Formats: sequence, structure tokens, C-alpha cells
Amino acid sequence: MADRKALQAEMISGHSGPAPGHGMQRDLEVCKLVDTTTCIGCKACEVACAEWNDLPFSPTTFDNTYQTMPETRWNFWNLIKFNEHQNPDGTIQWLMRKDQCMHCADPGCLAACPADGAIVKYANGIVDFNQENCIGCEFCVSGCPFNIPRFNPATKRVYKCTLCSDRVGEGLEPACIKACPTGCLKFGTKDDMKFIAEERTKQLRDNFGWKNAGVYDPQSVGGTHVIYVLHDATDPERYGNLPSNPQIPWSYTVWKWLFKPVLGTFALFGFLGVVLHYVTSGPRRTQPEPPAKDGANVNV
Amino acid sequence: MTNGWIDIKNTDMMLIMGGNPAENHPCGFKWAVEAKIHRNAKTIVVDPRLTRTAANADMYVQIRAGADIAFLGGVIRYAVENSRIAKDYLVNYTNASFIIKDGFALPEDGLFSGFDPEKKVYDKKTWNYEEGGDLAGKPVAATPPEKTPPPLPAGAAPPPPALPPNVAFDLTLQHPRCVYQLLKKQYERYTPEMVERITGIPKDQFLKAADLFTSVRKDGDMKKVATIIYAVGWTQHSFGTQIIRTAAILQLLMGNVGRAGGGVNALRGHSNIQGATDMAGIFDILPGYLKMPNPADVDLATFLKRTTPTESKPDPWESFNYWSNTPKFTVSFLKAMYGAAATKENDWAFNYLPKIDRNYSWVNIWNDMYEGKIKGIFAFGMNGVMIGPDSNKNIDALKKADWLVVCEIYPDETSEFWRAPGITADDQKKINTTVYRLPGAGFAEKDGTFVNSARWLQWKNVAVPPPGQARLDQEILATIFLKVRELYKKEGGKFPDPVLNATFAYTNPYNPSLAEVAKEINGKALADITDPKTNTTIKAGQQLPGFAWLKDDGTTISGNWLYCGSWTEAGAMMQRRGTDDPSGLGIYPNWGWSWPANRRVLYNRASCDVDGKPWDPSRRQVWWDEAKQSWVGVDVPDFKVDSAPKDHMGPFIMNPDGVGRLFVPLGGMQDGPFPEFYEPIESPLANLLHPNQSNNPVVKRYKTDMDKYASTGDKEYNIICTTYRLTEHYHYWTKNNPMNVQLVPEPFIEVPAELADRMGIRGGEKVKVTSARSHYIAKAMVTRRIRPMQIDGKETFQIGIPIHWGFRGIVEDEDRTAKTLANQLTPTIIDPNAFTPEFKGFLVKIEKA
Amino acid sequence: MSTSRSISGSTSSGAIERFDDKARESFEHLGQTTVYRGELLRHPVYTRVVHWMVALFFFLALFTGFSIYLPWLFRWFTPFFGGGPLSRVMHPWFGLGFVVFFGLQALNWLQPMIWTAADSNWMRNMGKIVSGEAKMDPPDTGFFNAGQKLQFWEIVGGCIAYLITGIILWAGARTFGRIPVAISYVIHDISAVIMLGGIFIHIYQSTFGEPGTFQAMVRGAVSEAWAWTFHPAWYKQVTGRDPQQACEEARRQMTTSSKP
Repeated sequence: MADRKALQAEMISGHSGPAPGHGMQRDLEVCKLVDTTTCIGCKACEVACAEWNDLPFSPTTFDNTYQTMPETRWNFWNLIKFNEHQNPDGTIQWLMRKDQCMHCADPGCLAACPADGAIVKYANGIVDFNQENCIGCEFCVSGCPFNIPRFNPATKRVYKCTLCSDRVGEGLEPACIKACPTGCLKFGTKDDMKFIAEERTKQLRDNFGWKNAGVYDPQSVGGTHVIYVLHDATDPERYGNLPSNPQIPWSYTVWKWLFKPVLGTFALFGFLGVVLHYVTSGPRRTQPEPPAKDGANVNV
Repeated sequence: MTNGWIDIKNTDMMLIMGGNPAENHPCGFKWAVEAKIHRNAKTIVVDPRLTRTAANADMYVQIRAGADIAFLGGVIRYAVENSRIAKDYLVNYTNASFIIKDGFALPEDGLFSGFDPEKKVYDKKTWNYEEGGDLAGKPVAATPPEKTPPPLPAGAAPPPPALPPNVAFDLTLQHPRCVYQLLKKQYERYTPEMVERITGIPKDQFLKAADLFTSVRKDGDMKKVATIIYAVGWTQHSFGTQIIRTAAILQLLMGNVGRAGGGVNALRGHSNIQGATDMAGIFDILPGYLKMPNPADVDLATFLKRTTPTESKPDPWESFNYWSNTPKFTVSFLKAMYGAAATKENDWAFNYLPKIDRNYSWVNIWNDMYEGKIKGIFAFGMNGVMIGPDSNKNIDALKKADWLVVCEIYPDETSEFWRAPGITADDQKKINTTVYRLPGAGFAEKDGTFVNSARWLQWKNVAVPPPGQARLDQEILATIFLKVRELYKKEGGKFPDPVLNATFAYTNPYNPSLAEVAKEINGKALADITDPKTNTTIKAGQQLPGFAWLKDDGTTISGNWLYCGSWTEAGAMMQRRGTDDPSGLGIYPNWGWSWPANRRVLYNRASCDVDGKPWDPSRRQVWWDEAKQSWVGVDVPDFKVDSAPKDHMGPFIMNPDGVGRLFVPLGGMQDGPFPEFYEPIESPLANLLHPNQSNNPVVKRYKTDMDKYASTGDKEYNIICTTYRLTEHYHYWTKNNPMNVQLVPEPFIEVPAELADRMGIRGGEKVKVTSARSHYIAKAMVTRRIRPMQIDGKETFQIGIPIHWGFRGIVEDEDRTAKTLANQLTPTIIDPNAFTPEFKGFLVKIEKA
Repeated sequence: MSTSRSISGSTSSGAIERFDDKARESFEHLGQTTVYRGELLRHPVYTRVVHWMVALFFFLALFTGFSIYLPWLFRWFTPFFGGGPLSRVMHPWFGLGFVVFFGLQALNWLQPMIWTAADSNWMRNMGKIVSGEAKMDPPDTGFFNAGQKLQFWEIVGGCIAYLITGIILWAGARTFGRIPVAISYVIHDISAVIMLGGIFIHIYQSTFGEPGTFQAMVRGAVSEAWAWTFHPAWYKQVTGRDPQQACEEARRQMTTSSKP
């Protein structure tokens, strides 16, 4: 289980230079495993998250679903998404997936964020928001392929699941894990959770007739520290719009890290250019210019 | 439960029906998930709706609400036909081989033998075992005539029919009147085609389900185990107890009772409802399921004769007949109640006990109040208006009462019945009921034990004291009782003795410590008692270690014999928190204390074959140790430990016959020794098995003007309705809790998408559901999880209504709801054995609001 | 001493033009432009005020934008504006100010900024002009030369780009969606970088690069020599004299007076 050392920063948004402690001995990466095949949609995890993080209540209305609200909110970080999926034979498969920040290894939010230290990725894989440093620009919202960060108009900060970095830092499991009654949620090292997930999907394929059961751990964002066991890994979209190929917009990758500095440099060349122009061609003077001394008005 | 929560993890096959544990018992459901993960256990869910439990199942079968006996009967027929039965278990541990008197008739026309159509009761004397011996291979003869009874004293009623001590039997199960053959004949009519017509389950789907469930006994395999898990989806019908009987029969046929991972498992609906029934929070029993006296029990001896069973079994077999100890339990109870005032001379104060002269069950109470017979009511943590059935009748009943005392933690619909929607200021002036509201303590503010579905007594500690002026339940009750006693002392009254002489010797009688009460319930010795076999002595004043020590000579007290052993000299057993489970079966012998005697799986002797060897050694629970000449095991044997297998003592020690009963003889069940499929009282069609007797013949309708019922095949009320609960709310009080309200803020009605389309109803639109009694308005949840069904070839729709909202709560107070109550719709119809109302499977119509 | 005059002699009407005229009129009451002998009125009070407002907001938007532009710049620039959150809050308002004032400026200068044949000519000669080979601008160069017009239209285009992308970025992905925000992010950047490069040139040309130009936007008047050197066609239009002749005249006077 992770301990204090695990809360060691690995990447910091909007930060110049290396992260403090860079290169130090790294601890194991943590991971939350969500087994959608044993989730009963009981919402104990929703309640635990709201209670642990003291999230204030907000009004909800009936929306033709058991789902508590349409999407996560700045004060509701963890939401079970319900979907009555219709099979080709007309039967219904009622799917339930716990939706929250995926704690990507390559976080889109962090890539997009311009503010120094507003988003931190710890060596253990947790991606955390530091609201003190947040400037409220909401670039993270567009950077995230999972539609997770949420803006609070009152404080002008963004919020999301922290993978209970405070609890993990003290050697405890996240609140949702603790509350889950069926053991559908598990927590441990990424390696262990991957192992358990693979074993479970094998069991589903071999013994329960789920031929396409698999683990959702998208490599397009470098893998995530929240992984899912899905009955059908070929169609993540049916689990409440889980993106099958999550991508970070290249605006926050190639553009931000390559083109911006390059273009910035070009702009500075403009400055260099005018300086060079001044010292070479010199200023254009109004005509007629005063005569040169001793006839030395030479253009070389 | 016969088994327990954690034991579910030991199963290979689960049939979850009439219950929705993923939603209503999420913590307990973890054990079903454990079975899936670690044993590849399969789950079959049969339910009118695709619930969150069904979403987790391997096979979901949609069934018409109320058609459960048809389905289970069909599975019984399938099991018998395909030999998916546990033959040895069946022959040796059930009454399959017992011969039934001829004169007994199966209900092919809907009626068993002995029905009195005027009184609407059965004369059950033909529902009995024949007397005799081994009839195997003998030619079938008529039942020998009854022995001439001794002459009766003048004016005395003839004794009721009794079980014969010596039962005729045929171990080859061939005799046409043996229980097994009668069982086969009874369910012959429940063919897959008939199951489809009645339940709406397509034949091939039914066969798949039957095949899967009974597959644990395929090819005679005895190692595997199946469990049946149910809740109020089964009990809340006018034949609810018979549904459970059908499941019990199926489990006995398949030899699953007594096995780890098996059994017939009721999921209780409150954290301590098991405790409530154990301690006789029901009118017709005394603590420990002793029977209540009735006016014919003129003295203790008469009462004990009536209520103490004598053994009734095949001669070569043995029967422990543990209820034969009823006198010990009763006298110990009377001593606990009346202390020194209970003496041998006054029959241990037997006459202090009230004698029930009629049915005082829930619906009858409200009916009596409505008819003006009951003048006042104490409602402790019980929201009678919300519970219904027919909530409007309950409200009107309260209007007629003189007084109402409500102990609650929130203002609720019952204490505010006079403010129900529709009651005007003028109406209020005419209500003369005095309402007393006593602020009570919430569950986290009280200590004491909860007894869970697994029969585990677990002590809980106080988390926070009650706020403000709220008081603990025991303080309120004790204060009232002592005040009443004072008044009796001062003013006298009709028969003050029981009140004056009831023991109340607590350290602080106005606020009795529950620890003291718990000790009293466990019981103690009043004199030195020595057990000759082991030569141990319990000294006077010491707590008793178990109910085997109870005596009928006044030297022991015990408030509840079943709980004897829960608080011994060693301390409070129910406070133990030992986390060791050496067997890995989830027994945890040192965690809490389960009744009886800390046995975790009941009837566990049946987990072994006739030689005392476990059917499945990998899950062995108890077994016969030849060297020790005793039954031993990882669980406490639910048996006479020194009874050798060769003595063939029956594992079902609480039955006088010692066996599991496929056939329940005599007065065990009011409506039949075998379950028969009857339609709910409000049904869209006549019973296909016997249209002239559609419903349970002994079920009575109430006769007031508020008791209205739809007719069979009603043209107006043509939709089947069921009521149920959600995970996110708990009955009628979480509507006061912001977190729960955030999760599910508003009431809704689940409407099939096809029906919604036809009626132009969109999700979120308000709809109005009306029954013969009243209406209910809420937003429609248009869903594909309740498909239309073909019932006898006719398209039939079902809708579902969660019960949690009323006219007082967070969203109600904000005027965001119509303030109608789900139970305004439900009918005043009860099960004839357990008196549970038929909250599920009644008729309504639906329209846009 | 000079009175307000339409610089291009425009006779166009319409609400926008009327507003523009009104604005110019009212600003003349607020301030004054002193034109000494030997000078010409170049930019009236209104124009100057608007220009400097544009410049101010440009720099404010630029520097607050730097904070958000690159991590390496974040910590250098945010302290000037009261920290990260305030920088980010102010940036769109500064940008909006820039667009609004430049909008006024664009209205003000719409007519004279229209591309003509003279500008295409100027472009053909740009190499000589920039290198200093051509001492005077081509004789058909009007009030604004092609370089100035190019930059003007570049800023117009930039402002449109800023407005659209800026509003998308300001309202955020919640309103417009992830991909529009991501695309706006790039376009906003490109516009900024191009405009920044252009501003280096602009500032240079307005100060060190062409002495005598700065006063045009500060005092509002330029010397006649400046006028005939850099905007000969405008000089001719305003004074009626031929710029080459005037220049020769001045050269003769200069050599005469400089004779010992």
C-alpha cells in the first residue's frame, strides 16, 4: 500500500523546469479496479465520496433514470452511470459504471493546464488538482478525454476526484473503496489490480459466457490508474459513454510543447530583426538629410 | 434464514426470487458476489422487473407478479421428472415416504378436502398421516378406522385431530398415498405450457431456468448445493407463506436444506425485524415462538397439552421433537415475566397472560380502529399511514380513534394524519383524536442487539446520545408502564395482578439498562441446578449457559428460550467480535451469537448422509465421530449430539416427525398441506388451473365501505401493479435526509416503454395510477426493463411503484410532489397464515396526470 | 490652431460614419492639436486617444496572455497582475478592450486603409524601402503606406480571430465543447504570435526606424519634410505642392545656410 513517499510529484502543470524530487526513488503506482460485472449500482461510493470530501448537496431532479444526475459536478465527483443497453435479441442488459477521474498516466488536464502547480501527478499515479494554484481557465476541461473536471462558478476553481490522495497518503484506501459493499471496487498497486482484472475477465470468458470480457486500461493516454473490468471490452461506449479511444487534443501536446515555444521564438526574431535592421540599415530619415561631415556619407 | 449471510458465499447456484438483495440488502449481497467470484456460482433471478439484482444475474426471467407458485411448482415437476432430486435425502430426511390418510384430496378444483364454504375454513382432519407401520410392498389398503376415543366429559369439545405417534410409511415411495406420490400428482398439472400461460414466461426460457437451477443434482451429484433467497416479494401476497412452502419443498427435494451454501433464506426487511419476531412483536406468539394462549386454554396444563407436540414418526426412526420441551420454555418464560408471583400453586401465573380471542394482526388492528372498536394506538417507530394497505382507510381509522401516541424521530404522516392532503380546515375541526408526539431515539443513539436475517445477535453501542428532549425507547416505555402500574395501584381496575406483579427489578426501572434486560432474556438459575450427566452445577443467580438447562419446575427463568446462551456467566456472547473462521465456511463462531445455541446453519445434520458422512467433504460442517460417539464439526451440530446415525434420528429436530415436511399435516397451514397456485385477489384473469376457485379460498375480504376490490379480469383496472423499495431510500424516513434525497429526489412510477409509447407518455411526465381504492401521482420512468407479457396469450402490462414518498419530507415540504402515498393503492387483503398484506400484484389503471 | 478636418475628404454617410464623425468632433473639444509652422496636422485628438487606448490594452492583454501562454512565462508575468487567477480573469477583459478600441480605430481609418494601386506599387518597391536604398517613399504613397495597411488589416483579421476564439476559450468547454476549445487554443496563439511580430516592426517603424514619426501620434502634427519624404501623395493632397520640388527646395536652403 502506498505511504507518504508516494505523494511525490512527478509532473506539474504550467511549471517550468523539472518537478521537485525528480529522479528520486519511485514507489509503486496505485490503481483502483472497478468491476462493472459485480457493480450493483447501490451508490455507496457516491455517498462515501461526498461525505469524505464534505461536498455540499445540490438539488437534483428526476430524469427518467436511476442515475443520480446527468454528469459529475464540482461537488459530486463520483457518479454511477446507468444504461439500459438493448441486445440484438431484444433483451436488456442494464449496465452500471462508476464514472470518475481516470487518473491517466498521461493526463490531458495536466497537459492543457497553464497554471504552475494547479495540477499535479504524483509518482504513484494519482492526478490531483491544487485549487490554490488554479486560475480557473478551464483548459483542463477541454484537455480531458473523459469529460471529468468541473468548474465551480463561485470559487472559480475546478474540481474532480482526487483518488483520495489524502487517504492514500496516510496508507488508507480511498473512501469509495471502503464503502463498496460487494467488493466490486478494489485498490492496490497497478500490477496487482491488472492481475486481478485479467483473472476476472478470464473467469468471465471461460465460465460465464462473456466472450468479449476484457480490461479497460486505454493506452492512448498511457494507461489509467482507474481500470474497468467490462463484460464487453469491444464496446466501452455502452457503459455510459466511456470513450473507446480517449485522446488528448494535440493542441495540448504537440502544439503546446513544440509549436508554442518555436513560434514564440519566431516572434522574438521579429525583435531581433528590428534590432539588426537598426544597426545595419539604420533609421530612415526625413529628406533632405543634413549633409555629412567631411563628405563621409558612405553607404557600404 | 435457515443458513446465513456469509454462508451464501459457499453456494454453487442461487435462485433469487421475490427479493432484490442487490438493492435492498447491498451489504449482504456481497456474499452472493463472493460465491460468483470464488466458486463460479450461477445466479438466476426471477422478478417482474429487471432489477439491479437481475442486472448482475446469469439468467433473468421476467415473471408476472404473483405467479410464483406456478413457476416453482413447474420447477418441482421438472426436478421430479428429470430425477434432479436427492433420493437418499428425500427418503430419509423428509416425510416423502409417510402415508397420508385416504379421504385427503388434492385441489384439482382448487379446494383441498374438508373445505367449509360458509365459514371459509378447512376442516383439516384428512390432512394427516395414516397410522401404521412399514407398508412397502404391501397391497394398498384404505386407511384403518380411527381407534375409538375415550368418552368425553359432558359439554366438552372433541379433541382436535392429532398426528399419530406411529406413522405409516413406504420407503420405496411407491404407495399411491405416500407424500411423494401425492406431491408428484399435485404438480403434474404444472407443465411448462401451463407455466407459460400463467406466468408469462416463455416455455423454453422456463425450461432453461429449471434446468439450470436443478443442474446441481444432475446425474445424482450430491456435492453441489443450491440456495433460494427471497424477501417480501414472496411474503406480500395472499398466498405468500405458500410460496415459501413451495421453495422449501423444492429445496428438500433437492437435498439443499442443512447444507452450507444451501437452505431457504429469507432476507428480512429491517435491521432488527428478526429480533422483533423472535421477541414476539406479533400478536399470536410468545417470545421464542411459543404459542399464545386462547380462551379455551383454561389452565397451564390444557395450554401445554395443546401446544406441546408429541412425536409422530415411522416406528424404526427417532425424533428429537425438541418442542417437547415447551413446558420448560413456558414456565421459564412465566417466571421471567412474573418472578416470585409465579408459583406452582397458581400455575406459574399462567392466567396473567392475555388470551387471544381473535386475529389482532396489522390489518385487523386498523380495521378494528376504523370500526370504532379500538380507541387508541401506540405507534412506535412505525408509520402506519404510509404502510397501509389502503392508507386512506388507516387515516380514516385514526380520525375515529380517541388518542394516538407516536414515538418517532421525524414528524411523519401518521402523527400528522390530520394534515393529509384532502383534509380541509373544516374536516380538521371534526377530528377529535388527541395526538401525542414523543421524540424517540434513532438507531445510532441506542444500544442493544440487532438480530439479522442470519439469526446473529450482534450488540451495538451508542454512537451519539439522543438530541434535545428525545428519549430512548426503553425509557419511554418503562415510564409509561410504571405510571400505569401506579394508577392500577391507586385506583384498582379490572384484574390489576399482571400489571402489579410483572417483574421490573432493574437498577433504574425508569430507564432500564438493555444489558440487564438482555441478561433477563437469556435467563438464570433461581436455585442450584446440577446436570447428572456431566456433573456440573449452575449456582442460584448465575446466568444459564443454554436452553438445555431450562426447567419446568420454577428453578429457571428465561425471557426467551431461543436466546438462552446469548449472555452467560462468560459474558455477553453477542458482543464478541472474534474474526477467526478456521473452516473458511464463514461460520465465525466467535463473532456475535446466533440462535439457537450459536448454530450458524440450521438442520446441519442433514449435511451428512445416513451414515453421518458429509455429502461434500470440502464443505463439511458437522459429522459423526465414531470414536467420540458424538457429532462434531466446525459448526455447532443442530442435533442431539450423542444420537448415532444408526438410530436414524431426523435432522429436523423442531418438527414432531423429525423430518422436513413436503406435506404439512393438520393445522400447520390454513390453506393447504401442499402449496397450490392461486391468483392474487385482484387479477387480470381467472385461475387457469381451476377458474371457479381463482383465489386462495380461506382469504377473507374486509367489509367496510373503505374496502373496495377490483374484479377478476377487471376491464377498467387492467394493469398489474407492484410496489417495492429502492437502495437509495429506506422505507418512509429517508425522505427527511438530504443525502438520500439528493440520490433519488422525486417519486416515480416505472412504466414499460411499450405502454408509454402507446399512451404518449414521455419519461418525466406526471402520470396518475388509480386502483379501486385511491390514486397515486408521480413522474413516469419509462423503461425497457419491464417487458409486456403474454398471460394466457393476452398482452399484459405491469408497472412498479417505489413506496418511499408521502406527504411530509424534504421534497414534499417543498411542494415538489403530488403528496400521494403508494399504499393508498394497495388492497386490504392478507395472507391467512402470516397475515402479511398483498402489497404486490394488484390491479390499477394508468393515465396522464 | 487647426480645425478638425476629414483627413481623407470622405463624403460617405451612414450610421457608423456619423458616429465616427461625432466622436471626432466631441474629442476635439476635449483636447487640442497644435500645428506649428512647417508642420501638417496628421492625427487629431480622437485618433490619438483611440490609438493609445488600443496600445494600452494590447500590452495588457499581451502580458496577461504571456502568463497563460507558456509554463516558462507563467511565474514571470503573473506577479504583475496580482497572481494567476486574476491574470486569467483580466486577460479576456483586456482583450475585449483591445478589440473594442481597435474597432473604433478601424472605423476611424477604414477609408484610408483601403488598398490601392499605389500600395501594390509600394509593395514592389518594399525591398528598396526597407534596405534604405530608396530615401523617399514612392510618389504615389498616400496617407498610409502599404506596410501600414498590411498591418492594419492583419490586426483586423487578428481581432476577429481573437474575438471568436477568445469568446470560445472564455466561455469554455462547458458551453462550446472540447474540440472547439482545443482548436481555438491554437488559433488564438497563432494570431497572437503574428500580431506580436508585427508590433515589433510597428514600434520600430514608429520610433527608431523613422525619426519624426512618434510625434505624429503624440502631438498629432508632423513636419512637412516628414510628410513629403514618407507620404508624398498625401503631402501633395494637403498642401498642393509637389513633394519632390519641396524636397529640392529644402535641400537648396539647407546647403545654402550651411555654407560657411
